[in-house]
Amino acid sequence: MPYVSLILGRIGKAVIVLLAILVFNFFLIHAAPGDPAAVMAGEAGATDQQFLDDLRERFGLDQPLPVQLWRYMSGVMQLDFGYSYRQQMPVLDLILDRLPATLLLTGAAFVISLVFGILAGTLAAMRAKRPSGSIIMGLSLLFYATPLYWVAMMAVLVFSVMLDWLPAYGYSTVGAGYTGLAHVGDVAVHLILPALTLGLFFMAVYTRMTRTSMLSVSQQDFVKTARAKGLAPGVIQRRHILRNALLPIITLAGLQAGQMVGGAVLTETVFAWPGIGRLMYEALMQRDYNLLLGIFFFCALLVILFNMLTDVIYRLADPRIKEGVA
Amino acid sequence: MSFFRRFAQNRGALVGLIILALVVLLAVLAPFLYPDSPWRMVQRPFLAPGEMAGFPLGTDTMGRDVAAGLAHGAWVSLLIGLISTVVALAIGVPLGALAGYFGGKIDDALMRFTEFFQTIPNFALAIVLVAILQPSTTSIVAAIAIVSWPPVARLVRGEFLSLKHREYVEAARLVGQTHRDIILKQILPNTLSPVIVLASLMVATAILLESSLSFLGLGDPDTMSWGYMIGAARTVMRQAWWLSVIPGVAILLTVLALNLVGEGLDDALNPQLARQR
Amino acid sequence: MTLLSSVTGRLTAAALLVTLAAPASAQETPQSGGVANVAIQPEPPGLMLPLVQNAPTQRVAGNIFEGLLRYDTDLEPMPQLADSWEISDDGLTYTFHLHPGVKWHDGEAFTAADVVFSADVFLRETNPRTRAILDHVESIEAPDDETVVFTLKQPFPAFIQAFEVGTMPMVPKHIYEGTDFYNNPANNHPIGTGPFEFAKWDRGSVIELDKNPDYYEDGKPYLDKIYWHVIPDAASRAAAYENGTLDIMPAGSVENFDIPRLSGMDGSCMTEQGNEFFNPFAMLWLNNREGPTADKRFRQAVMYAIDRDFAKNVLWNGLGKVPNGPFSSTLAAHDDDLEQYPYDPDKAEELLDEMGYDGKPVRLLPLPYGETWTRWGEAVRQNLEDVGINVETESSDVAGWNQKISDWDYDIAFTYLFQYGDPSLGIARTYISSNIAKGSPWNNVEGYENPKADELFAKAAVENDPEKRQAMYDEVQQILHDDVPLAWIMELAQPTIYRCNVHDLITTGIGLNDGFKNAWIEQQ
Repeated sequence: MPYVSLILGRIGKAVIVLLAILVFNFFLIHAAPGDPAAVMAGEAGATDQQFLDDLRERFGLDQPLPVQLWRYMSGVMQLDFGYSYRQQMPVLDLILDRLPATLLLTGAAFVISLVFGILAGTLAAMRAKRPSGSIIMGLSLLFYATPLYWVAMMAVLVFSVMLDWLPAYGYSTVGAGYTGLAHVGDVAVHLILPALTLGLFFMAVYTRMTRTSMLSVSQQDFVKTARAKGLAPGVIQRRHILRNALLPIITLAGLQAGQMVGGAVLTETVFAWPGIGRLMYEALMQRDYNLLLGIFFFCALLVILFNMLTDVIYRLADPRIKEGVA
Repeated sequence: MSFFRRFAQNRGALVGLIILALVVLLAVLAPFLYPDSPWRMVQRPFLAPGEMAGFPLGTDTMGRDVAAGLAHGAWVSLLIGLISTVVALAIGVPLGALAGYFGGKIDDALMRFTEFFQTIPNFALAIVLVAILQPSTTSIVAAIAIVSWPPVARLVRGEFLSLKHREYVEAARLVGQTHRDIILKQILPNTLSPVIVLASLMVATAILLESSLSFLGLGDPDTMSWGYMIGAARTVMRQAWWLSVIPGVAILLTVLALNLVGEGLDDALNPQLARQR
Repeated sequence: MTLLSSVTGRLTAAALLVTLAAPASAQETPQSGGVANVAIQPEPPGLMLPLVQNAPTQRVAGNIFEGLLRYDTDLEPMPQLADSWEISDDGLTYTFHLHPGVKWHDGEAFTAADVVFSADVFLRETNPRTRAILDHVESIEAPDDETVVFTLKQPFPAFIQAFEVGTMPMVPKHIYEGTDFYNNPANNHPIGTGPFEFAKWDRGSVIELDKNPDYYEDGKPYLDKIYWHVIPDAASRAAAYENGTLDIMPAGSVENFDIPRLSGMDGSCMTEQGNEFFNPFAMLWLNNREGPTADKRFRQAVMYAIDRDFAKNVLWNGLGKVPNGPFSSTLAAHDDDLEQYPYDPDKAEELLDEMGYDGKPVRLLPLPYGETWTRWGEAVRQNLEDVGINVETESSDVAGWNQKISDWDYDIAFTYLFQYGDPSLGIARTYISSNIAKGSPWNNVEGYENPKADELFAKAAVENDPEKRQAMYDEVQQILHDDVPLAWIMELAQPTIYRCNVHDLITTGIGLNDGFKNAWIEQQ
């Protein structure tokens, strides 16, 4: 079956890309000045050569670089991502511990940005020549041009400190001991500010793209035909224009969904969200090689998965491709 | 209609162009308006805007003139935006052109390479690169360029794919022009308009990216950029709101202007689409 | 729900009555109960204090582990796990009598064997600072379960300062003996003797400590729980204190610019106590080996060129102290008569002219520890440029900073060092030539070599006569003051901000790192 071999081929390529990323990052990280032993010794406020030597031996950092790479890669082949030097825990545990929070945050931001972006974009396209359309576009441009962390800072200031409506940081209320529905509600309240902050920028992107895409589709021949046939404008908007206009947005959204996971560093830092972006930044600063490589691996994996998913959705959404395959 | 008439028809684009011109003017005049170093501590700290004559925008946490910082910062931010975009184009355009023109194995290899860079989350990669190379203007420009070239390559490749079978290209091939000439003289000029539009947006994104890096403390310690100013002001946001708002608005306006100009260029260079609007 | 709230209401009413009846005593008598919410940054890498000596680890785990002694704010020893102690007249024998009936968190008895194991086996292997101190020790013995005797090779008067929880925390022998210390599963659930027990750690969010119900001091601790909140951004931490989520902000939790605002809030208190033992001393390493900084006149010019009062007033809110020499003013050995280097740019330029400084740029490496330090780097760069020194700032993260300092790859670099209560523990290490070795950012990294200073430090450390010792320390302070092996820029204050209804939070010279044994919350 050509379809199966196509998928297998893609998976094969993905594996190669993933391994290449690991090797690339391995050398990149080791090129950075300092190593985890030096960082830990530095933090201890006192150190001697014996202490450093002990640490390096324990971490396997006394071995030549190719040997370290070989050890690491052969571990990864067996799905063993090693130990975090600093936290003294398996890398996989640390990542799986933090991944849900990031997926929740980026998932929420993604849905918000996509839904509101497409809505606003459609609206703006339908009212392209009226002031309301210009206002939508003006606002989206404003969101697009404002630095993300600045929005985050202002949001905390207004909604947490001044109005005291929403919590300023964190994932849930510490010590509240909520369970079940109360816990879900608690997390949801904590999620609002970071998800909106992260979502705003992408919302602006989708708004602009939807509008442009709809305007260009609406000039195409098949839409003109539909109009000539006398179909109701609402039907044309929904079934003909929007459906086709969404195709480029699906592609873009697929690309960005993966990027968001690794790109949430700023939002997670400002809102103390216990996610993977923050973990990555800390691992980088502490030269926690194994942990950092593990996070890069998972981020890349997510990007690849989202790209594949995008392809599937694209095929479902685009009538031409579906017919082509069938 | 001429290019400029079409551009000028878009009012937003005109406004954008004017803002941009003002920012450039500010950047160019900075050394004349404020010949002293913007790092100089000249007055007591935390002067509000207008509180003292001679310091229209007040002073920062250490008594440095905010107006001087803004002017010198305009230069740095624009320069980082421009240079990193030029470097990204210098990587992305040739790669995209070669991949699109030759196709086959070359295309496959080059696109794998591009994909490789797109698979690592952008911002994360930029952070890692700057942290590893240690923060300096060069390393920041390099990091921004490295994370922003893949879309250029993809765009140029797409254009080449659709243009390489046009009649005038076939004609050039029949006349016996070399690949080099066909790429440089026949196809490339025709791909320029979407690339220019993309580039104007990239400058804007680069300015935002630099400011985000600065916010994380990964800015060049020797140059005063707008991102640096916001990053340094965020801890005193409550005492001195103007310190984060002034450079924040400067970034916002510049990015806004670049986007408006980009849209205007898009309209002017693709009259087909412009008429539809 | 209704039942619960009515009960709470009645309790509140009762508490009010008590307060009305005896307003004065309500302030004095500790009340049990309540929860403390404390900021912690950065997140500690682990809580096994005897294994990890990092500052946030000490801060949290100081509640779980204990040392034999504590020290008051004048650094005089106080009992903890040891009830009493004797030092022989020749200064060679230290005998400790342990508190009877102390139990580890897992219920096992704490005995003298644990002390011997901790000092002689565990800490000698894991803690480089303790290892250096224990070099003075000939033997450690336990004649019975409640007595420990340390015998020294020669007198070492500073030895009595070495028993606080960060330097010599007690390790449970029954758990660690014969195991691989670093991979012992108990590291993830540390067992100590302290007033609080480890409960839970949600990485990236919160560390939870519970009251130790079987603590050996009657009625203590008073708090039911301590939550340590991990919040990476300083501005977010400030916001969390403002909206009431956090009660206690240890030093360094917020940027200095925020301190006046937060400490000025209603019901907010601030103390600078609890800093006496560490007494962080900010300085600039000046590379004595090469470049302009190798010239004594250049180094003196740096001292004159830097406006230290500006830094103190603008960057540190007027807290802290401008030092007159290498010894912190809180140390008993400090020489008050040493002449201060004033801020005098003209004098600096004169010295530079005299040495014939040719404008060769010097590299300045700031400390990557947050906004204040970054700003300080900018101020110092400007000060130096004002007297005609060309400066290039080299920015770096913590790892890069460690690497550069350890490799002596810098011209001028910011740092700060703890004093540890005695010149032989905290100060000599930065000036004696035997301590010149690559690989550590905490030894004599400036490369200063002066046989006279070496001799004075070595003799003073083992001199049992206080007067003779002081004479030697006075002499060495004068020598260092004139040589300027490095620039002393500030004795840092470490203010703790907390809600005023938290009482007895800081009762020792080690501050929050000594745990919340005495802390209690006044309930309204």
